Amino acid sequence: MSLSDVGEILARLIEDLKKKFGDKILEVNVEPKKITKVLVAPECIKEVAEYLKSEWALDYIKGVTGIDLSRLPNMAQEVLEVIYHVGSLSSEALKAVTLSLSTKISISDPVMPSLTSVWKGAEMHEREVYEMLGVNFKGHPDLRRLLLPEFWSDKPPLRKDYVAPGRER
Amino acid sequence: MGLYARRCRGASFLLYNNYPLKFSHRKAGTFCYSLGNSKTVIESVEEEVVPSSDVEEVLRKYKHGHVYKEGGGGLKYVIYKLKNLSLIKYIINWGRLCSMWPVHLTTACCSVEFAALSGPRYDPERFGWLTAVGSLRQSDILLIEGTVTAKMAQRVRLIYDQMPEPKWVIAMGACAISGGLYAKDSYNVIQGIDDIIPVDVYIPGCPPRPETLFQGILLLRDKIMNEVIK
Repeated sequence: MSLSDVGEILARLIEDLKKKFGDKILEVNVEPKKITKVLVAPECIKEVAEYLKSEWALDYIKGVTGIDLSRLPNMAQEVLEVIYHVGSLSSEALKAVTLSLSTKISISDPVMPSLTSVWKGAEMHEREVYEMLGVNFKGHPDLRRLLLPEFWSDKPPLRKDYVAPGRER
Repeated sequence: MGLYARRCRGASFLLYNNYPLKFSHRKAGTFCYSLGNSKTVIESVEEEVVPSSDVEEVLRKYKHGHVYKEGGGGLKYVIYKLKNLSLIKYIINWGRLCSMWPVHLTTACCSVEFAALSGPRYDPERFGWLTAVGSLRQSDILLIEGTVTAKMAQRVRLIYDQMPEPKWVIAMGACAISGGLYAKDSYNVIQGIDDIIPVDVYIPGCPPRPETLFQGILLLRDKIMNEVIK
């Protein structure tokens, strides 16, 4: 499948999303040779995810990442962005497609609905985002830390206001 | 302000033997849950503090070769002197440096070079460096192969404490020496293992080539040869 085919499918997908959800889709970022990103509000992300899974056969979660945007040069916002990279295994046509479904939540109250009920594979990824950025996923079946030491009681280490201990000399 | 015994670089090895490092069970415990981050792991390794006014005196008191002269006395002192007669000392040290058993502990990627060293091409057994084994009670040398995280640091310390005297430690690779790639900015990498255990030989490199590792082994042999028997 060539690059233009993938672009065509994604364009149709986004058109469909816009028609279905209207102004709930806050922002769409389409650039050739980059991953297409759809930004939605945290209240309706589950709805969008369910739609994507049932109608577009995007049934495979490739990864969940989080970004702290509070120290961006020029355009700092007091938000955390959580991004779900999804693809498809069941559909032949969508095999090469990667779509990023993202949402922004405030840094002071980082709560968002968990998407484990939609994509079961997001469970471990969400646990990692939980420990690294302190995002609380509502409805997650087993929200514990994943990789950090058992004794960790400091801030989540990927937050920008976390200061690495370093070494005193 | 107090001065840590391990910070006295010149006499660190001897001071270690007199003021052993230990995990503070009051503060943290070996697998306790109340610590915060990697810095608190390091702080949980408690050391005897030498007051800065006494540093000179301590160094004079526990000088190389005079460890048992002050406190021991009597028969103990005679045995100590006997063991350090040059011929007996030479034989004991020669025996030690010709049967160095390293602990098989792999913490990171430097272990690949360590495996290359152990093979027949370099053949370290001709210099008394034997196969890495899993039995800590029979080992003499702890070779830290690379990055040590806060989680691993506690295990490393446990392993070190289980080894019998005499024991030596080699820090292999940039990460084990100073944090290497993870210096300053890491949230859970120990910034140099000399924060948690005393180190005899540092082998720089990322990772060091087997030849460099060989040089470290030869350095350690020199050190063992000139050591005072306790």
